[in-house]
Amino acid sequence: MRVLVIDPDPARAALVAEGLAGGEPSEVRHAPKFDEAEARRFGPDVVVVAADSPDRDTLESLREASQTNPRPVVMFVDRSEPGLAEEAIRAGVAAYVVDGLAAGRVRGILEVAMSRFQLMHQLRQDLAKAKADLASRRTVERAKALLMKERGLDEEAAYRLLRKLSMDTGRNIGAVAADLLAFAGVLKGDGA
Amino acid sequence: MRCGDPLRLGFVPLVDSVALVAAHELGFFEREGLKVALSREVSWATVRDKMAVGALDGAHMLAPLALASTLGVGSDPIPMVAPLALNLNGPAITLSSRLGPALRRGPGADGLAGVMARRRAEGASVLTFAVVYPYSVHAYLLRGWMAQAGIEPDRDLRLMVASPLRMAELLEDGIIEGFCAGEPWNSAAEASGAGRIVAWASQLRDRTPDKVFGVTEAWAAARPDDLSKLVRALQAAAAWLAAPGRVADAARLLSQPAYLGADTALIEPGLADLVAHHGAANAPRSADGAWLASEMIRWGQAPPDTDAAALASRVYRPDLYEAALAA
Repeated sequence: MRVLVIDPDPARAALVAEGLAGGEPSEVRHAPKFDEAEARRFGPDVVVVAADSPDRDTLESLREASQTNPRPVVMFVDRSEPGLAEEAIRAGVAAYVVDGLAAGRVRGILEVAMSRFQLMHQLRQDLAKAKADLASRRTVERAKALLMKERGLDEEAAYRLLRKLSMDTGRNIGAVAADLLAFAGVLKGDGA
Repeated sequence: MRCGDPLRLGFVPLVDSVALVAAHELGFFEREGLKVALSREVSWATVRDKMAVGALDGAHMLAPLALASTLGVGSDPIPMVAPLALNLNGPAITLSSRLGPALRRGPGADGLAGVMARRRAEGASVLTFAVVYPYSVHAYLLRGWMAQAGIEPDRDLRLMVASPLRMAELLEDGIIEGFCAGEPWNSAAEASGAGRIVAWASQLRDRTPDKVFGVTEAWAAARPDDLSKLVRALQAAAAWLAAPGRVADAARLLSQPAYLGADTALIEPGLADLVAHHGAANAPRSADGAWLASEMIRWGQAPPDTDAAALASRVYRPDLYEAALAA
């Protein structure tokens, strides 16, 4: 089975290819964008496209054109499969099946693509969170140092004060620390 | 959806998404007590599908997309309603610089018709043009513009669909010879030297209807209060934009990478051409919907026995607009 993966993100497409490697023998090709001439040469049975690729509208229109032109019929993966189209859209993928291929055979491909897209999404979120945590820890350290200097507190007391402020205001400690630093700047005349 | 989750609104990076961006950036949603998250989408098919599965609560959308979805043309039927119109005018037709002489004859397509006739006589291949979506006023404007000069769109050219973000590069690569799209993508093609804007919608038709704010019919029925708040916030953003001197401010908002990611100099001409508030532009007029539906029928997209007026009044909902503003 020939699968064309159109995705601006090569990492996600590589994951999809890897995920399909174990199953039915298939040739997976990745393209960052849809090129009609190239696609015709490759002759895919299924086109998997990332929802954040601008080429979805082009792919869909081939179905419209096929009503008058002699070209392969392209269609959204069978919507009669309960929930599949919904899950796929939420995961950020769509699939177009070239005429003559049973929609049932596409299910596996779409499931692999969905799980790989979600994995990638999770990895990105984890990375962003790790970065944010690090930045927040640095802010807390600086706010603590400021409190120790201005209020003559020891480190433990400075941290307790920040935590109390955080609980009183119902906001996380990083945000409270950032506010404290910003206000200290204003009181000293910065940015006012 | 849980209470307290933000409303998710989709937009496609175009100048006419300005009301959503301004309402978000300048606090018009907040003023109505709404929490909103904007979601940048790069294809209309994805907007439609996310609306259908509830991954978006509402969206900036092509008015004919709302009509086609309601009718079940091009997808399963997903009835949509438009309680507010976002803009009239705005789209433009850009032709490739390679067509040089065909460009120099005013806003009509006569020069282009001449080129096509010559190519046909020489047995050359037909030219390819692009529009942003099959069901779009862009498709109807381009087809109508050509038909007036005696070109038969379904015979004399190849019409493809491409994202507005891709138009300039398709023109440069020689894949297409012209397109009709919203701004700033015509101005971008002109700035790159690949093409020239030959006609604006405002030159082709009086008050061309284009984008609406759309939600599904089911969402509108389930969340009438939130819908009213959204309409009021978008109306307030449109009024903000319409005040003198706001084009530069709005262009700065839109130019950010989260929205259009384009130069303000490319954004300003399109913003200036847009009718996004004046002359009761935000009130959804079912006459506009009926015209668009009749174009769908004219070009064979909808069955000839489609009741254009009934479809238009199901989708275009001035009653929801008025109720929101009266509250």
